[in-house]
Amino acid sequence: MATQLNLPFTSALSLGDLGIIDSVGKCLPATLEELKGKKIVFSCDDKKMVPVDGWSLRSNPHVGTTVTTIRAIKENALVAAVDSSSIKIAETEEGSLYGIKCGIAIAYAGLALMHFKIGPVLFYLCENTIQDSELEERLARLVLIDDDYAKRLIRVRAERAVQKELASHFTNSIILVDGSLKASVFEDRHRSIGKIAESCVLRKNMMIGISKGTRLKVLDRAATPLTKVPGPAYIEVDTIVKSLIRNTVGSNSMVKLEKSSPVLRADIVGDRSESLGMLLGNDPVAGGYPETLRLAHCISTFTGTEMTCLRSHVLNSYDVVELAADDIRSILLGSISV
Amino acid sequence: MKILSKNGNELLLLAMKEDSVAKGDYMLIEDRNRSMIVQVYDEEYLSSQALTEDIVREEVVNASSVENLHDPLNIGSLSRLVRDARIFRSKIRASINNGKLSSDVTWLPSRVESKIRRLTMKELDSFIGRRGVFPIPLGMTGDGGEFEIYAEDLDGKLTIITGKKESGKSHLSKILAKTLVQHGAFVVIFDLNNEYSGLGWNRDGTPSSIHRQVKILEPGKSLRFSLSYCGRGAISGMLKNALDMPAASLREFFRIWDWHENKKTLSIDAMANAVNTWNINELVRDALISRFHVIQSSRLFAEAGFQFEDVISTGSGGAAIVINMGEVSPTVRRMLVELVLSKVVDLLERKTIPPIFLFAEEAHLYIRDTYWEDIITRMRHFGIYTTFITNQPDAISDGIYRQVDNIFLFNFTNDGDLDKISRVSLADNDTIRSIVRTLPQRHCLAIGKAVCDLPVVVGVTAAEMLTLGETKKFFKK
Repeated sequence: MATQLNLPFTSALSLGDLGIIDSVGKCLPATLEELKGKKIVFSCDDKKMVPVDGWSLRSNPHVGTTVTTIRAIKENALVAAVDSSSIKIAETEEGSLYGIKCGIAIAYAGLALMHFKIGPVLFYLCENTIQDSELEERLARLVLIDDDYAKRLIRVRAERAVQKELASHFTNSIILVDGSLKASVFEDRHRSIGKIAESCVLRKNMMIGISKGTRLKVLDRAATPLTKVPGPAYIEVDTIVKSLIRNTVGSNSMVKLEKSSPVLRADIVGDRSESLGMLLGNDPVAGGYPETLRLAHCISTFTGTEMTCLRSHVLNSYDVVELAADDIRSILLGSISV
Repeated sequence: MKILSKNGNELLLLAMKEDSVAKGDYMLIEDRNRSMIVQVYDEEYLSSQALTEDIVREEVVNASSVENLHDPLNIGSLSRLVRDARIFRSKIRASINNGKLSSDVTWLPSRVESKIRRLTMKELDSFIGRRGVFPIPLGMTGDGGEFEIYAEDLDGKLTIITGKKESGKSHLSKILAKTLVQHGAFVVIFDLNNEYSGLGWNRDGTPSSIHRQVKILEPGKSLRFSLSYCGRGAISGMLKNALDMPAASLREFFRIWDWHENKKTLSIDAMANAVNTWNINELVRDALISRFHVIQSSRLFAEAGFQFEDVISTGSGGAAIVINMGEVSPTVRRMLVELVLSKVVDLLERKTIPPIFLFAEEAHLYIRDTYWEDIITRMRHFGIYTTFITNQPDAISDGIYRQVDNIFLFNFTNDGDLDKISRVSLADNDTIRSIVRTLPQRHCLAIGKAVCDLPVVVGVTAAEMLTLGETKKFFKK
C-alpha cells in the first residue's frame, strides 16, 4: 500500500515510507571511513584554500621533481601587466549590454612607472553584432544566451588586443598576463595567444601568464616541494599540464616568487629562468605576487560608483526606456538572503 | 535636488556640487498644489562604504604610479559628480496649502515629482506675513536680499544677544539702539566698556543722525542725583541691595531721612551730619558711617542733579541715554543700576515717562540675581523692554530664557555654551548646534518673534557709527 500513488494524506507519512532516505544514501558510495586521520582544509564560499605549509610530500605522486631557485636579474627591462574585467549592465529583448575595463600597469627597474586605465567601454551583444565576431555559429548562439560566455568573450578579445599591441611595440620586455596562456575559443584569429607569443619571440619579449589559483589539484600537489624552499623557486610542470590541457602556449611551471608566499602557476613564453629572474629584478613583488599585476587588477575592476554612472550614461545617451524589474531570487526565496 | 529621506521633522535632500545652498537657507518643496518650507541646517557629502573605498583606492593607485586615462564614455566625470554629491540636512518648518502658510506638516512630498528651489527672504516674508511700520535694517540674508526686523518686534519684548567675544554682538546692539532712537524710542544703555558713546558720531568723525539725541552720562560727573529726586524707595533699594545695609541700620537711616524730609532740609551734607550726631547705637552708627563714606565717595549725589524726565518725554523725538560704567568700581556700578532702575520704574508707574528700551551689556556683572526676575516679569508691565547682551549664555538663568521673545545668536564654538544655548533656545537643538558653530563674524541666527519663529541667518551690515570700546593692544599694527 505504501508504494501506491495518490495516497490519502495522513500525518504519519514519513520519508522512510517514501523510500527517499535509502535512495539518497545509495546514490553514491559515501566512503567516510576513508576520511579517518586525513589532513584537511575546509572550504569557504567556493574560495581556493591552500594549506599554509603545503600538502605533505607523502600524498605527492611527483616527488623527485627538480626545484630550481630563481635569482633576480638586475638588468633593466619594462614589465607591463595586463588585466581586465567585464560586467553585464543591462538586458534588452534582443541582447545584452556589457561593460569592460582594462588595466595596464608598467614597472621598470623595480619601480612602478605608470598605469593606463582603459574604459569603461560598452558592448551591446545581439544577433547582429555577434555575426561580425567570426565566432562559430553554435558558440555565437551560446554567447547570446549565456552571460558568462558573453563576458568571457569580451574580456578575452579586449585582453588579447592589448597584449598583441604590447607584444608588437615593446622589445626586451616582460608582458605579464593574469591567468594561464591558453588559447581560447573566443579569440580573434589575428590576435590569438599563439600570434601574441610569436610577436613576443620576434621582438625578444617574454610573456608570463600567472594564475592565482589552478583548478588542477594535481598541480598544487606537485608544487609541495616549493613550500619547503626558503626563497624564490620554480618547478617544471609541463608534462602534467600538457597531458591535461590542450592549446597551452609556452612552458608551464609552478613558482614561488618570495619566501613563504603562495605557489602560483606560471606559463612562460621565453627562457624560464631568465623570464622569472628578469621579473624579480624589475617588478616589485609583494606577498608573492607581482605589484604590476596587482595594480592592473585594481584599476580594471568596476566600482559601485562606476556602475551607477554607466547606468546613468546609458539612460541619458541612448534613448532607452527603463522597465521596472525585480530580483527573481528574492521574489521566490523571500527576504531571507540565501 | 531631490528628497532622499525623512526622519522625524528632518528631510535629507540630495544635491549636486553646483547646487549652492548655505546653512540657514530656506527651500521650498513644491508638490502639486502643496508646498513645504524646509530650512537647511547642515551639509555633508553623500557617503557610502563603496564610495569611500573608491576614493581610497584611487588615491592609493595614483600615489603609486602615474595615471593615463582612456575613458571614451567620460564615465570618470560622472563618477566625480557622484563623489561630490552632497546631502543637505533640513528641518521642516511649515507648509503652504493653497497659498496659505500652515503648520500642518503631516504630509510627505513626493520624492519623484517634487520640485525643490531656494526660497528668497522676500518670498518667505510674503508667506509668513512679516511686516511692520518701523523697520530696523540689520543686513543681508544668504540670498543677498536685505533683511530687516521691525521695532514693534522689540516693543514689549525681552531680547537676548549672545555670542563669543568679537563675534559682533555689540555691533548689532548698537544698530538696534540707534534705529530705535531714529524711530523716536527712548533707550537707556548700561555701557560697561564706554563704547556706545560712538552712537552720536559717524565713522568719518561727522555727527550722526542721532547726534543730538545721544546723552552720555558719566557717573559722578554728568550723572548725579539729588536725594529728594531719587526718593526713599530708590535709596532704600540701593542701601539694601548694593551696600548690604542691615535692617536695623536701615530703619535708623530712614528715621534721619524722615526728620530731614519733614524739615525740608534733605541733602547729602545734612544726612552726613546727622549720621555723626544722631543719638543711636554705636554699632548702627558705624554701619551708617561706613555706607555714607561709600555714598560720598561715589559722587553720585548732589544738591541738584540729573532728571530722566528732562530727556525722556513723549514727543521729544527719542533719545539714547548712555550710562558709562567703564571707569567706576563694581560697588558704584551696582548702586547706580539700583538707583536708575528704581527711579525709572517709579517714573513709569507714575506715567511721567513713556516706556523705555533698556540695553544691558554683561548685566550679570551689575544686576543682582533677584532683580532678573523683576526685569523680565514686572518691569515689562511697567514699560522697560530689555535687551541683554552677553558672551556668557550660562550667566542668564533658564527662567529668563523661557521668557525670552527674541534671540540673536552669534558664533559659539565652545560645546558648553552651545549646549546651554541649544537647550534653552527657541529653535531646535540640531539647527542651533550646526548653524551657530559655523557662523562667520558679524553673522547671527535670529530666532523668535522678530522672525515669526522661523530662524534666519543674517549677515549684520557694517555700522556707520564710530566704533569705540575696542580692545587696547600693546602691539599696534
